[in-house]
Amino acid sequence: MTAALAVSPPVHPALALMARETRVRHGVVPRALGGHEVGRDQYLLAGDRYLMRAADGIAVHYRRGEGLTLELPAMADPRDVALWLNGSVYAAIAAINGLLPIHASAVTWQGRVHAFSGPPGAGKSTLAAALGAGAMPLFCDDTLVLDLSGEGAVQCLPGHRRLKLWPDGAALAGAAPGEQVASHYSKRFVEPVAGTVEAVLPLAAIHFLEPGEEPRLQPISAGERIARLQDDHYTAELFERARGLSRADRFAQLAAIAARVSMTRFARPFDPARFREGRDFIADIIREGGAT
Amino acid sequence: MSLLAKDPTRFAETRIEDETVVMSLETGDFFSLTGTAQAIWRLLDGTRDRAALLSALAESHGVTADGIAAEVDSFIDELRAAGLISTVR
Repeated sequence: MTAALAVSPPVHPALALMARETRVRHGVVPRALGGHEVGRDQYLLAGDRYLMRAADGIAVHYRRGEGLTLELPAMADPRDVALWLNGSVYAAIAAINGLLPIHASAVTWQGRVHAFSGPPGAGKSTLAAALGAGAMPLFCDDTLVLDLSGEGAVQCLPGHRRLKLWPDGAALAGAAPGEQVASHYSKRFVEPVAGTVEAVLPLAAIHFLEPGEEPRLQPISAGERIARLQDDHYTAELFERARGLSRADRFAQLAAIAARVSMTRFARPFDPARFREGRDFIADIIREGGAT
Repeated sequence: MSLLAKDPTRFAETRIEDETVVMSLETGDFFSLTGTAQAIWRLLDGTRDRAALLSALAESHGVTADGIAAEVDSFIDELRAAGLISTVR
């Protein structure tokens, strides 16, 4: 008689680390970190610790190896809690543990990650949602976490399972808007049409979104790649503080990333009536394996 | 003789593909150097004065020293203003 042995695929170390470090327990959150008082609507990251107190009274404390402590006000809205934990707090924990969070949404195609970055309103999530209609599964929305350890291609950790879109973005992407993201944030959750990916995958390229007369893709020079990474204030500051890097250290690190990651400037008309032109253009580039 | 030299305590640099990227440690400003600018940067090693720098560039680029003097002076001024180079006597 033979017996089949069920073997689970090994969990990527970075995924295991984030799963371990983001475990939550409820308790009292300190009012200060390293002697510095943290008031409402403030956060402080120092070394291996992070303290955040939201304006709505939600408070989070994290210390590496100990996980998260969550303190909630009476009648806290679970959507608001989830928004914090899946956004800023997740990025801070990643940074403290040596991972690099980038402000980007991403899809996958043939086992590689194609990310879209840009300022708020540039259309990162909308484009990722629209590409889902072209059978490109969602990889992450708004925060892309990179694992820079090891040689070769930079590896990406899969992100959260739903997109957050304004109603007009959902309409452009051809997606049905679901529940409101949080009580104070009127974006809507959208289920990715092509599903999501659970695996750690190599990064193919980061495309920076910007307006343009016609869809166009231009490679970015090394110097600009470094500058763009440095300008990602959303996460660069977190990472810098967490690692206690000097300016020279930070430069060396950004240079190492810039040497390993393909980046482009993706210009496209921001006129909603011409949204499909940009979507189809970048979809073709991704399918052809371009810009890498 | 006034020798031109980079001040390594004032910048960090890296070479990626065909580009040299220099960052001022004081301001965080970036300089992306290719072509002639990259050649000048490489030659600012404290062994040459302005005339020797022009001569070396003219020879490597197949031009006259007078023909590139204005461009070189402008770039040197820019680097000096950024505090990245100094004059060694």
